Amino acid sequence: MSGSFTTTTARNIFYGGTLFFLLVFLALTFQNEQIIPQRDQREMLSNPQIAAGKKLWETNNCVGCHTLLGEGAYFAPELGNVVVRMGSKEAVKAFIQSRPAEGVPGRRSMPQFGFSDQDLDNIAAFLDYVSKINAAKWPPNVQG
Amino acid sequence: MSSNTASIAVQNPAARPGFSLLDRYHPPGDLAIWVFILAELLAFGVFFAVYAVARMKNVELFNAMQPNLDRSAGAINTVLLLAASWCVARAVAAIEHGRRAASARWLVAGIGCGAGFLVVKLFEYAAKFAAGINLATNDFYMFYLSLTFFHFMHVILGLVILVAVWLKTRAGAYSAADHHGMETGAAYWHMVDLVWIVLFPLVYVMR
Amino acid sequence: MQYKSQAVAKPYFIGALALFVAQILFGLVMGLQYVVGDFLFPHIPFNVARMVHTNALIVWLLMGFMGAAYYLVPEESETELFSPKLAIALFWIFLVAAGLTVVGYLTVPYATLAKMTGNDLLPTMGREFLEQPLLTKMGIVVVALAFLFNITMTVLKGRKTAINTVLLLGLWGLAVMFLFSFYNPDNVVKDKFYWWWVVHLWVEGVWELILGAILAFVLIKITGVDREVIEKWLYVIITLTLVTGIIGTGHHYYWIGTPEYWQVWGGIFSALEPIPFFALTLFAFNMVNRRRREHPNKAATLWALGTGVMSFLGAGVWGFLHTLAPVNYYTHGTQITAAHGHMAFYGAYVMVVLTIISYAMPLLRGRAANSNKAQVAEMWSFWLMTISITFITLFLTAAGILQVWLQRVSDNPMPFMVAQDQVALFYWMREWTGVVFLVGLVVYLWSFFVKGEEKAA
Repeated sequence: MSGSFTTTTARNIFYGGTLFFLLVFLALTFQNEQIIPQRDQREMLSNPQIAAGKKLWETNNCVGCHTLLGEGAYFAPELGNVVVRMGSKEAVKAFIQSRPAEGVPGRRSMPQFGFSDQDLDNIAAFLDYVSKINAAKWPPNVQG
Repeated sequence: MSSNTASIAVQNPAARPGFSLLDRYHPPGDLAIWVFILAELLAFGVFFAVYAVARMKNVELFNAMQPNLDRSAGAINTVLLLAASWCVARAVAAIEHGRRAASARWLVAGIGCGAGFLVVKLFEYAAKFAAGINLATNDFYMFYLSLTFFHFMHVILGLVILVAVWLKTRAGAYSAADHHGMETGAAYWHMVDLVWIVLFPLVYVMR
Repeated sequence: MQYKSQAVAKPYFIGALALFVAQILFGLVMGLQYVVGDFLFPHIPFNVARMVHTNALIVWLLMGFMGAAYYLVPEESETELFSPKLAIALFWIFLVAAGLTVVGYLTVPYATLAKMTGNDLLPTMGREFLEQPLLTKMGIVVVALAFLFNITMTVLKGRKTAINTVLLLGLWGLAVMFLFSFYNPDNVVKDKFYWWWVVHLWVEGVWELILGAILAFVLIKITGVDREVIEKWLYVIITLTLVTGIIGTGHHYYWIGTPEYWQVWGGIFSALEPIPFFALTLFAFNMVNRRRREHPNKAATLWALGTGVMSFLGAGVWGFLHTLAPVNYYTHGTQITAAHGHMAFYGAYVMVVLTIISYAMPLLRGRAANSNKAQVAEMWSFWLMTISITFITLFLTAAGILQVWLQRVSDNPMPFMVAQDQVALFYWMREWTGVVFLVGLVVYLWSFFVKGEEKAA
């Protein structure tokens, strides 16, 4: 077996194979970029509240406890569909606002972030936008 | 290598000196390419299986869509790939007899047929893209485009390998005694051909 | 130790282990918060503990990789390191930056930290695993580039082997893919899509090249098998890794707004991802069985074999369990994912770094191997940590299956928090197993101080 299995060939296959599969992946990525405008609700982004809400989502590290479209931490509920689950943006805002600063004895509780009304509007706009993204019918039910 | 296998190898007139039985009867070409070929065949095999499952779940759609494919283009391409494989096999046979120039000519013929496949396929794709078909059109077209495109890329890779082998042949790198590299390239090309022989009937013809 | 500049690896290994301790302590805090929700609230909320847990892990593995590179590159290249001074300077910069970042996480609210560190200039923070402030991210880039310069120059002036070439490729790939962490569009679908180019293409792509190179190096040293044989295996394994892993990225593109074709492409290629890990296991056992010498460092051999087995189980088997779209539809974003993450990171990356530390540290301390007593302690720690991570994974898998059933499959799906209460028993078992892991880690650290009869290097 030793004579017929050369390091040079193995190395060439590594470089060639890697380049090859990288190209296939880039082609799939190119197609992805062409298709997602029909699914990602990008026209909603003309509303500046969404970008502001996304930034609040990030700078308060919400993903450190929650998932968004299933990605993040598994300590707190999925938020990709929270506007649907709670029924309205107002309900989401009221929930965030009502969190006790000292938590709930013995239980997990969301911190009180002290958001302004404007912040809350932005966050709700962002979560509403995410809920409208076409995520291939995920999650399986409204509980997330 | 143990002395035992060495003595058997020497007794066998076909055995090249210094090689054990295992070496003599391993598949032609470098073993490393065979690992890669098996991995590729596995990927295609799983892809075909997933196609079969998806078709089973939605036979009406697949049957309604299949006639839209260009079967004559597919048939021409089948002939082209088979011809290319034959040429490549002739090239290996020629180099085994030390006929370097003939071997190079057979390789050019093989590369020509392979390039012909790409041209026919591009026309086929152009017609589909002009009709606004992409990976999101429906399940059938998703599989049609995915499978044929993945194979198309393999034809390109196979051709790149054949061109490299051809250049080396012209440079005199292979001989009757040593054409290990050409066998390695040829093995990969035959895999590309083999996959098409399964893919074409599966996607274009079978109902 | 054949080259004196290899000594710069030592602080990297020590720094890595210190951060490992921090990672585990914060892991225990989080584990407890899962069942005692108000533990340390509101001073260290869960998200902060999680940032420390995951970021400490990433940084200590990077430190381990760097230490490994500083140790093995001079020996492979048969030349002294290009600049040992630069290596030491970078160590302190990296350690201080990591330390300051952790202090920042723990002492100021995250939003304030973002403001203080210029996140408004270029918002990159607050995305999973990429929570580091802009300054830290830029620091990582600078340190990585200077490190790569140092290593690349060393390889260029010395012998080029498959091992140091593959290692370099992996390290350069690591640095290049990290640049995508600076791309953060408002469009959530695009944000998530390219976020995976850092996360997936790291752990299921270029990091595996680093893993392969380190393991190949250690196996050459401890088994004495021909370099030729080991390098062939290395190339075959990393080919299989990238052939499956690059398009395997698609298994993250099922439910984030990306088109459905990823379910097929991602499913097929990621389903094949266990193959390279299986090859890695075969590789490790094959080489050890064909060994031509009895290396006195038995503990390093154990870690090397363990890396093969546990990476196959954690990354291969546990990854496969939920990688197909019809399964992932139900398991996506549950404790199943957490179970896979824990065993995969431990089995592949934690263990490979501990392998190189186990092999190199005795040599850096001037002996061929540790005393028998010290090695026995180290092997105890191997089994304690490995068995406890296995049970952590099993408990999280059980919690995950229950969670999926209660919250996603049953006729009357429960709300998230109600389902969490139902699976609390498994969280408790996971937490206690985590304590055993900590014990294992303490035994591991203690093994460095166990005296006994040592063989000279």
